[in-house]
Amino acid sequence: MASVRLESVVKKFGKVIAVNNVSLEVKDGEFFILLGPSGCGKTTTLRLIAGLEYPDSGRIYIDDKDVTFLEPKDRDVAMVFQNYALYPHMTVFQNIAFPLLLKRKKLGLTKEDIKKRVLEVARLLRIEELLHRKPGQLSGGQQQRVALARALIRRPKVWLMDEPLSNLDALLRLAMRAELKRLQKELGITTIYVTHDQAEALSMADRIAVMNKGKVIQVGTPDEVYLKPKHVFVGTFIGAPPMNVIECRIEEQDGKYLLQCPGFTREIPQEIMASKLVKTKEIILGIRPEFIEVIESPAPDTIKGKILVVEPLGSETILNININPENEETIIKVKLPKITKKFRPGETVFLKIDWSKVSIFDKTTGFLLE
Amino acid sequence: MSTEIKIKKRYLAMFLIPGFILVAIFVIGPIIGTFIISFETPNGFGLSNYYDVITETSPTKALVLLNDMPRPPPWGALIHNLVWTAIHLPATTFLGLLLAYLLRRVYGRSIVKSIMFIGMVIPMVVGGLIIRFMFDKYIGIVPNLCGLIGLTGLDKTWTSYPDTALIALIIGSIWLWTGFSLTIHAAAIDSLPKTYIEAAKIDGASDWQIFWKIIVPSVRAATLTVIVMTMLWDLKIFDIVYAATKGGPGGASTVLAFVMWLYFALDLAYGKAAAVAVILTLLTLIPAAIYIRQVMKRG
Repeated sequence: MASVRLESVVKKFGKVIAVNNVSLEVKDGEFFILLGPSGCGKTTTLRLIAGLEYPDSGRIYIDDKDVTFLEPKDRDVAMVFQNYALYPHMTVFQNIAFPLLLKRKKLGLTKEDIKKRVLEVARLLRIEELLHRKPGQLSGGQQQRVALARALIRRPKVWLMDEPLSNLDALLRLAMRAELKRLQKELGITTIYVTHDQAEALSMADRIAVMNKGKVIQVGTPDEVYLKPKHVFVGTFIGAPPMNVIECRIEEQDGKYLLQCPGFTREIPQEIMASKLVKTKEIILGIRPEFIEVIESPAPDTIKGKILVVEPLGSETILNININPENEETIIKVKLPKITKKFRPGETVFLKIDWSKVSIFDKTTGFLLE
Repeated sequence: MSTEIKIKKRYLAMFLIPGFILVAIFVIGPIIGTFIISFETPNGFGLSNYYDVITETSPTKALVLLNDMPRPPPWGALIHNLVWTAIHLPATTFLGLLLAYLLRRVYGRSIVKSIMFIGMVIPMVVGGLIIRFMFDKYIGIVPNLCGLIGLTGLDKTWTSYPDTALIALIIGSIWLWTGFSLTIHAAAIDSLPKTYIEAAKIDGASDWQIFWKIIVPSVRAATLTVIVMTMLWDLKIFDIVYAATKGGPGGASTVLAFVMWLYFALDLAYGKAAAVAVILTLLTLIPAAIYIRQVMKRG
């Protein structure tokens, strides 16, 4: 077990800056997830920690030991790859035992010791029956377990995982999510996990670092990044459906501040009134789809809209509502927890926003105005 | 079997017939012809051609000449081919594989690979001439290097002495043929997922361990192709010998294909030439059979 620290790490590939001044601290025993879209630098960050790449500047520490330019084998980390990287010519047993066999003399292990440890790990991951098979004879889920077993056998300080569930089918992925979380908690190994799947990140992580274009945008618990996104990117990347964003202007009129948005204009609600806010002219309103109430008849403090699409999802329903008659593309998505009433496309409804849960971002920087 | 499939099979046969006719005329026919000629003797059909070529004792044409051993060559063409294979086959296969692995990380590796591949592209007759120059006392790199490091016994024109002629050709052919092994193995290594090597690195494997435990077993199919093709090349070798030493001096570097040519072109003994050709063909069938079996297995 160990802590991992990155200090101002930069990695370039030619002219492309893959990792741009990233600083992170992963605590001992933590399940830490790097989340972001393709090409955001999350995998490169993981490879830098593994030692498969070396940074152009910055330092990397594992347990306060500077490992920035150490070889992967001297870092005491283990990695699970997206394609599992199981050696096709070896049996499952040989694959799992491989890391120990390489260091047999150094660790002073006998063949019996190795066998015992392989069986132990195999039992933990429920793959004892597969030990004599070759990887080619295993299903995706089984291969995944073997890859996990191989990463566990050495009892590494840090467990690195590069989208290990992305090659599994949807149902198996759900099952493995829970299993992986259980395993990590049971063993208490510091884990850094890369994914582009926000649901995976929210469900598994102790803390999440959201990355975009090589930079870390926000680090926080799943609740923090979901409810208090620091940047409009985080709000729109996390959540299904993502946060609604509406570009608005702030105008001063007779000593009052007005919020002018496409489709509606109103006085700035007390809940979001702030000195920083009134100094900014151009803002972005971020509203989660579940913090909007849909009312059928006109009421004060509501926005008129027309339902365009109804998406029933079983346990919830998503409504796509147009709030600007001049522009068909000004759409707000609303998530209704249960099917309380059957809404139909074309119906006129009124939206009541819970202003206490609205995030306001600076339009020019994209960052939250607090 | 349904009629549809039957019709399809008939069509399939129609497409195959033209190719088969060509192969029959230009490949199968001559092989059968050679086989028949090898049994033709002045007194009708018999095995005397085979008897004669196998028991031949003249050093330039003997197939096996192993009396008074140990002594420098000539040992007979068949033995020379076997010695050639025994040294050349493991050397080129391993060197090519090792170079393919090492060059993986070298900047400008494609240039190096192309240069290595030239050995395979140039006509073998030219290759033979280059070997002759490489081992020449005055302009050759090898004798001069030997002289520099104090190996005075080897500071001579290798191809002119019985004790060094054969080994000079073998070393030269390693230089010519390693590009083949390198190219095939490099392609095989490039097609391996990068993560195999990365996973092994993280698991604590050294470069040497990665080579032996991951790379070598993972490119087995490519290695088999290289081994079989190299064995065939070693058995069929002719041009290098012809251009560099003419089998000499005193038959010290002769090989089966060269002996066959001697019978055919100098002695005009077609029956004997055919007999050597049949022996050579039977030998080449061994690696070919191994290869075909492997291909069928994979298919």
